[in-house]
Amino acid sequence: MRAVLILCVSVLAACSEPPGSASNEGVLRYGELCASCHGQDGQGLSGPSLRDWSRGRDELVAIIDARMPLGEPEKCTGRCAEDIADYILAKLTGPITCEGAVAPGARKLRLLTRREYAATVADLLGGGGGACPPHRFTYTPASGSPQTVHVAGSFNGWPQTIAGGGWPLKESGGTWTLERALPAGTHTYKFVLDEKDWIVDPANPNRQSDGYGGENSVVTVACQAGGLPDVAAKLPVETRPDGFPFDNEADAQSVTSVHVEAYLAAARELAEGPGRKLSQCAAGDGACLEAFVRDFGRRAFRRPLTDAEQARYRALAGTDPMLAVQAMLSSPHFLYRSEMGTAQADGTYRLTGYELASALSYTLWGTMPDATLLDAAERGELDTPDGLSSQARRLLDDPRARDAIGRFALMWLGAENVLTADKKPDLFPGFEALRGALAEETRRFVAHVVFDGTHRFDELFTADYTFVDAQLASLYEMPAPQGSGLQRASYAGAPRSGLLGHGSVLASTSHSDQSSPIRRGLFVRRRLLCQELPPPPPNAGGVPEVDPNATTRERFRQHTDNPFCASCHQYIDGVGFGFERFDAIGRFRTTENGQPIDATGDMNDVERLGVGTHAPFSSLPDLAKILVASETPKQCFARRYTQFVRGLKQAGEDACGLNPIVERFRASGWDLRELMLAVVESPAFVVRQ
Amino acid sequence: MMDRRTFVKLLAGSAAALSLPRRARAAQTASRIIFFYFPDGIPGRSADGMPSQWHATGGETSFSLPDVLSPLQPFKDACVFFNGLSMGQADVGSHPGGAKKLLTASDGGGGESLDQHLARTVGASAPFRHVYLGAMANHNNATGDKHISYVGPGLTTPPEDNPLQAFSRLFAGSTPVGGGGDMTDGRQASVLDAVLADLNDLRSGLGGAEQRKLDQHLDALREVEKRVKGLGPGTGATCEMPASPQGVDSGKLYDAAAFPTILKAQIDLLVQAMACGLTKVGVIQASHHTSELLMSRFPGTPMYDPSFDMRSHQASHYGARHDPGKKEFREYVAQRKWFVGQFAYLLDQLKQRPDGAGTMLDTSLVLLCSEVSDGNTHSHDDMPFVLAGRGGGAIRTGRLHDAGGRRHAELLTALARAMGENISSFGQGGSGPLPGLLA
Repeated sequence: MRAVLILCVSVLAACSEPPGSASNEGVLRYGELCASCHGQDGQGLSGPSLRDWSRGRDELVAIIDARMPLGEPEKCTGRCAEDIADYILAKLTGPITCEGAVAPGARKLRLLTRREYAATVADLLGGGGGACPPHRFTYTPASGSPQTVHVAGSFNGWPQTIAGGGWPLKESGGTWTLERALPAGTHTYKFVLDEKDWIVDPANPNRQSDGYGGENSVVTVACQAGGLPDVAAKLPVETRPDGFPFDNEADAQSVTSVHVEAYLAAARELAEGPGRKLSQCAAGDGACLEAFVRDFGRRAFRRPLTDAEQARYRALAGTDPMLAVQAMLSSPHFLYRSEMGTAQADGTYRLTGYELASALSYTLWGTMPDATLLDAAERGELDTPDGLSSQARRLLDDPRARDAIGRFALMWLGAENVLTADKKPDLFPGFEALRGALAEETRRFVAHVVFDGTHRFDELFTADYTFVDAQLASLYEMPAPQGSGLQRASYAGAPRSGLLGHGSVLASTSHSDQSSPIRRGLFVRRRLLCQELPPPPPNAGGVPEVDPNATTRERFRQHTDNPFCASCHQYIDGVGFGFERFDAIGRFRTTENGQPIDATGDMNDVERLGVGTHAPFSSLPDLAKILVASETPKQCFARRYTQFVRGLKQAGEDACGLNPIVERFRASGWDLRELMLAVVESPAFVVRQ
Repeated sequence: MMDRRTFVKLLAGSAAALSLPRRARAAQTASRIIFFYFPDGIPGRSADGMPSQWHATGGETSFSLPDVLSPLQPFKDACVFFNGLSMGQADVGSHPGGAKKLLTASDGGGGESLDQHLARTVGASAPFRHVYLGAMANHNNATGDKHISYVGPGLTTPPEDNPLQAFSRLFAGSTPVGGGGDMTDGRQASVLDAVLADLNDLRSGLGGAEQRKLDQHLDALREVEKRVKGLGPGTGATCEMPASPQGVDSGKLYDAAAFPTILKAQIDLLVQAMACGLTKVGVIQASHHTSELLMSRFPGTPMYDPSFDMRSHQASHYGARHDPGKKEFREYVAQRKWFVGQFAYLLDQLKQRPDGAGTMLDTSLVLLCSEVSDGNTHSHDDMPFVLAGRGGGAIRTGRLHDAGGRRHAELLTALARAMGENISSFGQGGSGPLPGLLA
């Protein structure tokens, strides 16, 4: 097996032990003070790798003594610095390898999050799998025979070509068709023949002006998940460990009596409401009840009921089918999704086909498996790599995958806080009305990049367009878009770039009354680059008071003037200042308090903290270019997505397991769809111990 | 929705279900305990050595309260003020590090917190073992380390931030089981039986961490089962069903201007629940550490200033010295005094309700706490605890207690003892109950 340098993390048995020996004190102090940044094996995480240290013991001791840990050098001096240096030199230098199979993760029961719960009950009780039926596009040429026909519209960003994201129709017997689910709302579109001739849909009489003297076809999708009580809003919030941005950490949740009561209450409300209509059985029709329990149970538990469960719920259904529904919705088999697996000959556990069906659907859709997926599990198709891959691809082609990646993105970026972060009403009147649209913009944009655009990671940051409605267009000083709802629109020369220009990101990384270069710098370091910095020390001083005569940048100058502050803030402020042309809700500005804004920044040490590189920039599009030229944000993204999929904080720290995923991501040209497939097709998705 | 008559019947009925006479309570045992948390510390000894503006000065029984604690003047005889109580040096200088130790007395939050311990032991006989109410404590997806109640090592649980939801759980019976809404409903009991059977099936053969996860789930389900089936010992109390919280808008739970109303509603709910004997252990968490709470938006308070947004955490970093010329420091002192005022309101509510020969304040323990001492230095020494209530005679009150640097683990141990939980120590760093505190 090929040796892989510096990418082996933690104490996996599969990773070779570094040679040599050192004092026990050095091991302990290293683990306590150094490992969080330099890695358990010195391979480098946010801080640089130590494994290629070549400048001798004295210099290493001197650096630790004077500068480490970052921001708190007084924590380790003298003997401590020597112990750690000796440990590093004895144990953590030289190449390390990932050999053999990666140690599997632990078996888990994963409690449904509130968003998963809400989507699941909508699917279970909303009837017909919950999603809206796909829209069918049909085109029969009156004359001629085009080589290609595709749909371009407000839902996919009006691409000229199929490669550019156009949705191709398939020809059969002279008629071109495409079935594709559309989000609820009104959409405009055209057919594009041979990627050059744009025509209205001749079969659709609904049209409106396209603003260029022609017409667009109009389709309205009215289907809503609809009619269910919002029971998930009454469930307790999830617990998120510090440093884990997602709501689904499996080990951080604990079910208390508050949870139990909330689950029972929600189950009762659902059973007595929409659940009442589920069973059509006549009183006393035993065969019908038997079948009802079997069929509903298989969907609710996402696997067939055992004989004991069938008997248990059949008895309840005999009293009232509603009671069986209520009990199933309160059962741990419903509330947790199992990743326990079944024992293999080699001592590991492999997830069952049904467990994999749930793992796939909750990962890629954020909800329960549909009938096709459960049937595939029943036929054993998910037990083969090809069968699993083929279902994963099917799921990714469904609009539910768009919802799921959008929700992931808001948590990854921390941009969901745009919904709750305080803003000062007199400074930002009207902001309350923008919150929802700003969050939706980010969801739509990310889903668009992944599924309609180039699919490339880079586009998340370099896109010269976003999705706006009239209100957001006004906030961004862009022309109001045609049509209702969010529409794709060019930034049109405004100095925004992909996600970096989104109001959700800019507002979430600001205070209520002012921008925050600190939060924005940390956003780039932690969220985008996985570079951790220590929390501010005590006596750090708060945010400098708002000064009516100074810019924010001037107020924060002490961070760089004071060497103690600068040891950390050299990595924060220089990046954050580059966002200063955007205020606390993401409006563009060129002056602050009458002073011109200096928005030059330095994306220093983009690869790793402490390396000493500089990358000056003067606009967000420039910053985006610096970021995407580096592999660090892509590796970080792969790590975050893996953590999200596995629902475990430590999942992202297992670099031996992460490495093949990153390699596949890289080989695809950093194709996000390919990354999603790489994670769900990886051994870690299927095998446990 | 249950009517008032039903509610009274529920309490009486559950008492009747327990045919044994109520166990005579030890003469010097507290009937209930409340932990009241506020964020971001107090103006303690400053970075450049100015003396604390929080800690009382004087002798054990003859001492005076600083201005910040003046709302407690009417309750001085019912309180113990502390000097020199330390949380130890682990994670010193850290807000989360302090929050993790606060009620666990375990470094890094590596143990169960005292509220959860008592809920599981002496509190288990009450219909609700544990009531954890927050005011904006989950704001902006607050991470778990911002919550102070630990159900196990490293495992926090989130508080309920919505008073209407809390009311519904405790009183309204809009849940099938909350407040025992369906105690005699055989249909609901049969639902629970099926769920319990599923849970036992799933638990068998799990082992390890997942087994513990389900053990806890099962424990929670058993607590609810007792309420649903009316199996638990009753409280013996009869009380009128309180009115639903007033002025609370579920859509504005995170609007800073609503914070005072929400916090008051949560205090009222907890006192009412305790007056009805529904629970013995309560925690109220006002916001969370490193708080973004815009206290300058509290209407009708000295902090109110629509022209300037002042956050709790921002004010706490007032600088190296107590400088009344500096806005942050002035606001910080005003904010802390406001929190003390809310604590005083809680004490007053307890004092207004008779219990036995005295009031509920006489029979309760109420602990005021924050995760650090000085908000700027983040010291974990000289922690700003204030204990109120005589705990049914278990506590020697009306004193300034000089702990001489002893660990707060000993305070927590003493509180457990006062609740009738006879443990020798709680958490790390202490040995036995804090000397001189217990009567």
